[in-house]
Amino acid sequence: MTGWMEHLVVAPIVVPMVAGAAIILAGDRRRRLTAAIGLMSTVLLVVLAAILLGLADSPTVHVYRLGNWPTLFGIVLVLDRLSAVMLALAALLGLAAFLFSLGRWQRAGVYFQPLFQFQLMGLNGAFLTGDLFNLFVFFEVMLAASYGMALHGSGVARVRAGLHYIVVNLVASLLFLVGVSVVYGVAGTLNMAELAHRMREVAAEDRGLLETGLAVLGIAFLVKAAMWPLGFWLPPTYAAATTPAAAILSILSKVGIYAVLRVWLLLFGGTAGPSAGFGEAWLLVGGLLTIAFGSIAMLATQNLPRLAGASVMISSGTLLAAIGAGQVTVTGGALLYLVSSVLSIGAFFLLIELVERGREVGADVLAVSREAFGAGEDEEEMDEQDTVGVAIPGTIAVLGFAFMACAVLLAGLPPLSGFLAKFAILSTLLASSGPSVSPTTWALMAALILSGFATVVAMLRSGIDVFWTSPAARAPRIGLIEIVPVAMLLLLCAVLTVGAGPASAYLQSAAEGLHLPASYLQGVIAAPGESAGP
Amino acid sequence: MPDSLLLLALVCLPFLGALAAGLLPTRARDAASGIAGTVALACLGLVWAAYPTVSSGGVLRAEFAWMPTLGLNLTLRLDGFAWLFAGLISGIGALVVLYARYYMSSDDPVPRFFAFLLAFMGAMTGVVVSGNLVQLVFFWELTSLFSFLLIGYWHHTAAARDGARMALTVTGAGGLALFGGVLLIGHIVGSYDLDAVLSAGDRIREHPLYLPALILIVLGALTKSAQFPFHFWLPHAMAAPTPVSAYLHSATLVKAGVFLLARLWPVMAGTDAWAWTVGLAGLTTLLLGAYIAIFQNDLKGLLAYSTISHLGLITLLLGLKSELALVAAIFHIINHAAFKCSLFMAAGIIDHETGTRDIRRLSGLNQSMPFTARLAMVAAAAMAGVPLLNGFLSKEMFFAEALTAEAPLSPLLNILPLAAMLASAFSVAYSLRFIHGAFFGPVATDLPRTPHEPASWMRLPVEILVLTCIVVGLLPAATVGPYLAIAVHGVLGDDVPYYSLAVWHGFNLPLVMSLIALAGGVMLYALLQQRLRGDVEGPPLIRRLDAQRIFEQVMVFLSWRLARRLETLLGTRRLQPQLRLIVGIGLLAGAGAVWLRGFGPGNLPSTPVDPVLALVWMVGAAFALGTAWQAKFHRLAAVMLLGGVGLVVCITFVWFSAPDLALTQLTVEVVTTVLLVLGLRWLPKRFQVAGDRGPEVLTRTRRARDLAIAVGAGCGLAALSYAVMTRVPPELLASHFLERAYTEGGGTNVVNVILVDFRGFDTLGEIFVVAAVALTTYALLRRFRPAADSVEIPEQQRDQDGATQHDDAVRPTADWLLVPFTLTRLLFPVMLVVAVFLMLRGHDLPGGGFSAGMVVAIAILLQYIIGGAAWTEAHLRLRPQIWLGAGLLIASGTGIVAWFFGRPFLTTYFAYAELPLIGKVPTASALIFDIGVFALVVGATLLMLVALAHQSVRGHRAAPRRVGSRAGEA
Repeated sequence: MTGWMEHLVVAPIVVPMVAGAAIILAGDRRRRLTAAIGLMSTVLLVVLAAILLGLADSPTVHVYRLGNWPTLFGIVLVLDRLSAVMLALAALLGLAAFLFSLGRWQRAGVYFQPLFQFQLMGLNGAFLTGDLFNLFVFFEVMLAASYGMALHGSGVARVRAGLHYIVVNLVASLLFLVGVSVVYGVAGTLNMAELAHRMREVAAEDRGLLETGLAVLGIAFLVKAAMWPLGFWLPPTYAAATTPAAAILSILSKVGIYAVLRVWLLLFGGTAGPSAGFGEAWLLVGGLLTIAFGSIAMLATQNLPRLAGASVMISSGTLLAAIGAGQVTVTGGALLYLVSSVLSIGAFFLLIELVERGREVGADVLAVSREAFGAGEDEEEMDEQDTVGVAIPGTIAVLGFAFMACAVLLAGLPPLSGFLAKFAILSTLLASSGPSVSPTTWALMAALILSGFATVVAMLRSGIDVFWTSPAARAPRIGLIEIVPVAMLLLLCAVLTVGAGPASAYLQSAAEGLHLPASYLQGVIAAPGESAGP
Repeated sequence: MPDSLLLLALVCLPFLGALAAGLLPTRARDAASGIAGTVALACLGLVWAAYPTVSSGGVLRAEFAWMPTLGLNLTLRLDGFAWLFAGLISGIGALVVLYARYYMSSDDPVPRFFAFLLAFMGAMTGVVVSGNLVQLVFFWELTSLFSFLLIGYWHHTAAARDGARMALTVTGAGGLALFGGVLLIGHIVGSYDLDAVLSAGDRIREHPLYLPALILIVLGALTKSAQFPFHFWLPHAMAAPTPVSAYLHSATLVKAGVFLLARLWPVMAGTDAWAWTVGLAGLTTLLLGAYIAIFQNDLKGLLAYSTISHLGLITLLLGLKSELALVAAIFHIINHAAFKCSLFMAAGIIDHETGTRDIRRLSGLNQSMPFTARLAMVAAAAMAGVPLLNGFLSKEMFFAEALTAEAPLSPLLNILPLAAMLASAFSVAYSLRFIHGAFFGPVATDLPRTPHEPASWMRLPVEILVLTCIVVGLLPAATVGPYLAIAVHGVLGDDVPYYSLAVWHGFNLPLVMSLIALAGGVMLYALLQQRLRGDVEGPPLIRRLDAQRIFEQVMVFLSWRLARRLETLLGTRRLQPQLRLIVGIGLLAGAGAVWLRGFGPGNLPSTPVDPVLALVWMVGAAFALGTAWQAKFHRLAAVMLLGGVGLVVCITFVWFSAPDLALTQLTVEVVTTVLLVLGLRWLPKRFQVAGDRGPEVLTRTRRARDLAIAVGAGCGLAALSYAVMTRVPPELLASHFLERAYTEGGGTNVVNVILVDFRGFDTLGEIFVVAAVALTTYALLRRFRPAADSVEIPEQQRDQDGATQHDDAVRPTADWLLVPFTLTRLLFPVMLVVAVFLMLRGHDLPGGGFSAGMVVAIAILLQYIIGGAAWTEAHLRLRPQIWLGAGLLIASGTGIVAWFFGRPFLTTYFAYAELPLIGKVPTASALIFDIGVFALVVGATLLMLVALAHQSVRGHRAAPRRVGSRAGEA
């Protein structure tokens, strides 16, 4: 890396940063200009992510020393495969949500555009940083922007859910800060790689304190990842948020997962000395409980946004449990699941509004109560008219297909990537468990399959209701700019299905880099020293 | 054609055809059916092209890498057994397409229908040619999915919706079970490849995981093949258009289950567990299906239950420990496909031409559609097992097996022949009912339409199928013999037992059983005449046991009532319990970690407690407790007490020689307190009403619990802080900062150098946090409408207005609080100078952009407080957005500039510049960064202030009206 290429690593943070500031200066009223700046930024981020994906696919990690300070006390950004994948996901979801927002939502309140850019900046920073306190800072950027996103559009329901969300996250941030302080106070460093080194040789009388700090830190991550019983904030917030906001918020819970993957595996992975495997069982158990609760919430709900929220919980639980299994290959499968679920949940959040547009308010409630209480109704006679099908308008047909694709993806049924992802987790889990299968493996297998079934039942109920029982009286008016992002995300899932081989190989390497972080540690610690001063 | 291309085309053509058909316009019936027919025939041609290889015992195989590291490849494998199925799928597919072209109304949007049909055909072909078990599951679930769409084709009827949903729920669940089973098999064998699995029979059967794998796989197969107790979805799937029923329930969907059982027969069968699960399910279904079928009044319902029963027969054969039974099963699969498909089509013709399928209404159709009647009679006779037709042959083989098969328990063996005869008699009875009910008797007069023969093209598929039944029945060895041999060879390899396909095997026991069954069936039908004419629908004895109703009630209970109850039990939507959980779990996590390992005392020597500082802290603690005490009902008091806590913190910073922190803390404290107080005005009032939250005891308990959590968390945090502060790690980051602040950062104020240089990236992030919060606050408050009880002008303000005798419209300005007003105006420039001073010296001495920005913000805040929003804004042009945006751009721009010097982002530069008059001045690029911070802080604070202040302006605009109206009322 020489010349300008070198700075590509920091570019995913700088681009939305500058774009957001420029949009503020341009003034919120000049919609065309702000939209143009936003579009340039989001598209540029996708391009950057593509380049970085290629760049990260190397045996060494790329370290970027901010301010040209030595790794020892400056802040570093580290690009490895996992960061590159997360950047790509954020960029793609960002582009989709941004395009969607141009349809109508960006006008629902002020300052949507700059907050959206800050949101992307926070996400990208969190994925890139190699410094624990800097991670906190980018968590805050991301959260502060997400408060704005969650409240965008105002209204009683949004403000109520949004304020709950803010309070919960402030408490989580407090825990984060407490954890980081303790870690710094005991280990004397904030650099994650350096911290991993010191974890091994920390004095015995200090180790307990260090672990305490990290445990508190972990709770902050798990609140973010919406693990049961820390994640009750998630469904109402996502359900109340405006559509593009919900889509971009849906990746926020994955930041919690990312933090667990990054920090936990780095500090407590197999090579971590006496502290190895700290809290592993809790991740597994918490993940399983989260899957169970997500499935219950999914079955219990009758409105689509909450359904999507529940599916976010299931996906979080699946990932936590898979990470808690503590196997390299399973983590590789989990990463495939992560990619697939981010794309599909994002698409689903965008789709929900299009599907609901033009339907009567409360149609779901009626349909479900009919089902719950009218199970014993007599079958109606088929009459002559019934044996002629009804034509489905093109718009509805497209929406119907997109809905089916989302359902199939979320449930982990063939033919899309959701199935392959679940297969990747389960087959590696079994392969790593020897001739006899342990109870935890059985539990995880059952949880994954049963949560898939719960999703099928719930999505089937909603889908039949929306498209067959009480369809919109007229085909809804949907702009091209609104359906294109959905199609784009689903198409990416299809591409992921076809290219599952190379994709899973890439993610498997990423997982190896996480479980055996030698190259990460060496890369960061041995980053070229301070170059000659000015 | 190379094998790989042939196989790929076989699977892909239907999907491509589906895509093409799906894109056709709504009414393009001919084009859509044309595409579908062509595709089906092309697939049949492809299957035929594979005949030479397959007939010589070969296997066509093609493998494409998919997820090779996980053992999942797209493996297409066509052996004899798969070949037979592929032939059935495409052959019968072609006939069904022809039939459907005439069956479906011209008003129907049929392109959708044909698209789904083709996609289903592709999925089904995919199942049979899968050479990898995971891939098989893949296509298996696709068949469920497309059959769902086909069954629900007429989704405007409730029956179609319910039928489709039930089918997908049951078969989808089965598919998931199968997925689990396949994963276990893959784990046992070490590969998902079918060839590898088929050669690992002993290993599978002896593995401890055999039983769970068997149960899961059998669950998948039984649900798909509608076997008891999962049979109930099939009759409801009859809501589909008849061509769909003819296709799905004769040759394809339901046969997938028995296909799988036969496919895995060599490796999984032969154990008692297999015999019990598969055999018992088959036996029960055989009898139950046939019994219920007799009492169905709907032609398609009758055929549906008969299908269930015949699939039960096949399953039972597969459950027996005998190769010959397997041969019989495969033979019956072919025969059943032929006669059942033609019967469904015949039922469809009757429905199409008469408008009803109710056997009680139909009668004497032999007069009006004699040709169709002949065809249906032959097919029904084949179903009943009448000699010289194909159904008879496989039934004879079944009887022979029932007599000789080895069953896990001898009692079962004894009842097997009896059960077989009974089921056969039932089958004769319902076949008779089908024929006699529809075609004989007096000509019906009240039919919705006048019946006549259908279009000859619509009858052609039936004719072909019936001809097959007859030819196979007469000359089995010459016609179906070779194909059956190929299929059997595909399953069993070279271990094919001897069997003979002949019409006449001599006068033996199976023949006797057949004759008894035929006679018994006829007698049974004669005896039941009375009941069948009656109005009671459904079979005697078990009429009340409606599996569908049980299923729906269970589903509603599980997926709805139970789930909701559990959700309220395990979750919450309220904020307080959530916070309690987060704090509680955080506390537990910390305490747990301490408890696990514990930690030693710190390594720093303890310092004596200074009594003055202790006193200050006690005051601070009192403030803090007071804040918590008053927070609920006296918010203003709480905010003031909170300010006190801030001051104590500030004093502490000064005490420990941290002037920078103290300065920042002080300014932040001022600004936040003022903004909080401004905000308080709009919060609705809270009053304490005794007993409004339930009994006093509960309230007290709740508070005690919350107190315990709070005390625990507070003490835990204190302990943690104490532990951390009494130790210093061997190597501390801060030591580097101290060493290098001046030498490399160019500043003597270490705090500032850390903020703008060493960790400038953190600061950069944080100013974006501030910006985001400010924008959010502004956006939120712009749309904020205060609660009704906060709209009025507060009491205090009214008092003041009254005292000065001023009308509300003319707000006091110049003479209002004259002295402070003048003073703040005078103070304003001074504060600006102080700010500039703080900022410039920041790099070396306490100060910096942040505190400078805060000072400016306070200066403007003061003008607002004393002068009011209107006056201030008239005299001071504030553009918070510009400040905000510019600040962010300047700060990030400073970082970017480093790129142009080939340095990483945020690399700083410092030097001493020689200025005229002033002399040597330290200039660092960090200063520009600091200016950015300064601008941002000013902008963000002002934005929030403006948002709050304008709320007040808006409020006043609204208020007089209200006051006025109230006065009017008074």
